[in-house]
Amino acid sequence: MKEDLMDIICCPLDKQTLELSITDEDDGDIIEGTLTCTECGEVYPIEDGIPNLLPPDMREDASA
Amino acid sequence: MTDLAERRGVETELYEPAEDSALLAGAAVDGVDAEDRVLDVGTGSGYVAARVRAETGAHVVGSDVNPHACRRAAEAGVETVRADLVSPFRAAVFDVVTFNPPYLPADEDAARDDWVEVALTGGTSGRAVVDPFLDKVGRVLRPDGTVFLLVSSLTGIEAVVQRAGERGFSSVVVAETSFPYETLVVLKLVR
Repeated sequence: MKEDLMDIICCPLDKQTLELSITDEDDGDIIEGTLTCTECGEVYPIEDGIPNLLPPDMREDASA
Repeated sequence: MTDLAERRGVETELYEPAEDSALLAGAAVDGVDAEDRVLDVGTGSGYVAARVRAETGAHVVGSDVNPHACRRAAEAGVETVRADLVSPFRAAVFDVVTFNPPYLPADEDAARDDWVEVALTGGTSGRAVVDPFLDKVGRVLRPDGTVFLLVSSLTGIEAVVQRAGERGFSSVVVAETSFPYETLVVLKLVR
């Protein structure tokens, strides 16, 4: 994901601001990292450049 | 539902672009400006999102619940977010939202246990995904924003128009194509 995506995404649960933490970046593309809700503290992973912003209760049963 | 999947030439992990995708992309291209920010919900292969971006120059983001779809769309160069409909997007950030939803009515006992089922079927009414989408899309859309929604006669176009109306949208058909077994329309929704 690109960092400017932060302008339009939010926590899917409470719609509050997310805090970005980058562990791997390649030429402006964020490859691995986390997005943490500044309000409820829920942590959403960024994997292979794609943020997984599914609500926590959908993460497991959506892995068919 | 396997026969439907075969008829539509789908693979097992995601829904491949078909007539409905092309109809939606064509209608959306006509309604998008270069400076618009667009969300393609249920982007699948990323076909609609990539075409809208290529043909309009707009900033397009795709979302899908299916991780295989997210990967494919990202490989197609679409900025992709794994999401349940519009839930992780901020209020009033999109000028245009496009959606080719799962809309085929499913048998009562058909399990949504594989990704193609998830991509094709919308519960017994065909509206199990369209209805929550209509309930929620208004939040992420700018006040003067537009939704382009693919609907099949099998889903009940009137029922979708009525639900949209209850959510403050007026609907107009901007594209249509007919097959022996169904008619597909693109509804343009505005407030």
